[in-house]
Amino acid sequence: MNEETQQNLPIDYPSALARIGNDESFLKELLELYLTDFEAKHTDLKTAIEVMDFTSIQELGHSLKGSSANLSLTFLQEASFEMELAGRDRDIDKAKKAHLALQQEFESLKTHLAAKN
Amino acid sequence: MIKVLIAEDDKLCRTILDNNLKKWGYEVLTTENGKEAWAAIQKDKVQIAILDWIMPEVDGVELCEKIRKTNLGHYIYIIMLTIKDQQTDIRKGFAAGVDDYITKPFDTHELKARLQTGKRIIGLQNQLLESQKKLQELAIHDTLTNLLNRYEILNVLQDEFHRALREGTFVSTVMLDIDFFKNINDRHGHGVGDEVLIEVASRLKKTLRRYDKIGRYGGDEFLVVLPGCDQKNATRISDRLRRAVCGKSIETEAGLLTVTISAGCASTEKTTSSSIENLVKISDKAMYHAKNVGRNCVVAS
Repeated sequence: MNEETQQNLPIDYPSALARIGNDESFLKELLELYLTDFEAKHTDLKTAIEVMDFTSIQELGHSLKGSSANLSLTFLQEASFEMELAGRDRDIDKAKKAHLALQQEFESLKTHLAAKN
Repeated sequence: MIKVLIAEDDKLCRTILDNNLKKWGYEVLTTENGKEAWAAIQKDKVQIAILDWIMPEVDGVELCEKIRKTNLGHYIYIIMLTIKDQQTDIRKGFAAGVDDYITKPFDTHELKARLQTGKRIIGLQNQLLESQKKLQELAIHDTLTNLLNRYEILNVLQDEFHRALREGTFVSTVMLDIDFFKNINDRHGHGVGDEVLIEVASRLKKTLRRYDKIGRYGGDEFLVVLPGCDQKNATRISDRLRRAVCGKSIETEAGLLTVTISAGCASTEKTTSSSIENLVKISDKAMYHAKNVGRNCVVAS
């Protein structure tokens, strides 16, 4: 896989694998865990945006940023960080924009994983 | 095996840490927040703690402060997990007592190396505690007989004396002296004299009740402290001690030797001792009386 192709992938495989001793089956397990965790946090985020609960928006953004970073899910990490900042800055438009980006990147990840399997 | 506690609210991070640590040979305890972590620390002997900075209930810094303020009986090496934009808070962490930190998402090799450092520090700490313990033991024991030394047996007597006063019970002392010990040394040498001392000490100790205490008071003198013991029982125990020594010959380099002891006992039941010095003096006097009336006997004050 060339560098350009690698850069477009939702997951930075070398970085993610290095963190877990190059265990591919463990990575698969962790990604499944991530998908479940994301769904739950996504539901909470939707509610938080609806009621303009900026504290929750920031906390959820922060949490998603952390778990995305652990699996080197670069684009999801960036979108989560935007969400965290939106919560910190109490900017609802920014939060909605970040929410859209998160959804898109998440779908992208799911598509990629389904194709891989 | 070194026990490592993980306090991390993110399940994914916790799972990765748990997996890595177990692969590297650590025993792992995982918790989801600071409150759970604190409960685990108080229950288990955790030696290294990896704490997330931001956690529900009690955060990493607060938990670290709690650990440092509490006397847990052992040192916990603390590694804080931080995110890159929290680096300005690192000073706060170190001030709270953090030993090291690692930024998330962490590099596995770096984490492994930092844990090795923690393991080394814990190893040094354990060595220090072990040496301290040995020194404390040496400070209160007689090196030849392994009984309590004079200083410590008098400390014990002081405590028991005051306890007896508080509780309205008695304490008794027995002064024991090996008969003709100077002759043993002069005739067979100090090496044989030491063998006799060691064996006599051993027999006396084995004959006592679990909560009685014995110390080497002088060259060939022993002081026994009998908590909660009246004069009658003190006399009975003293005679049991006497028979334990003279009942069987002692094997030495010079052959089998028959050894006897003279014993003098005193009890707060029968004396109006206002101090331990007085009580010891009375049992010492009784012991000399035992010498005068023929040795190998017990005299009660």
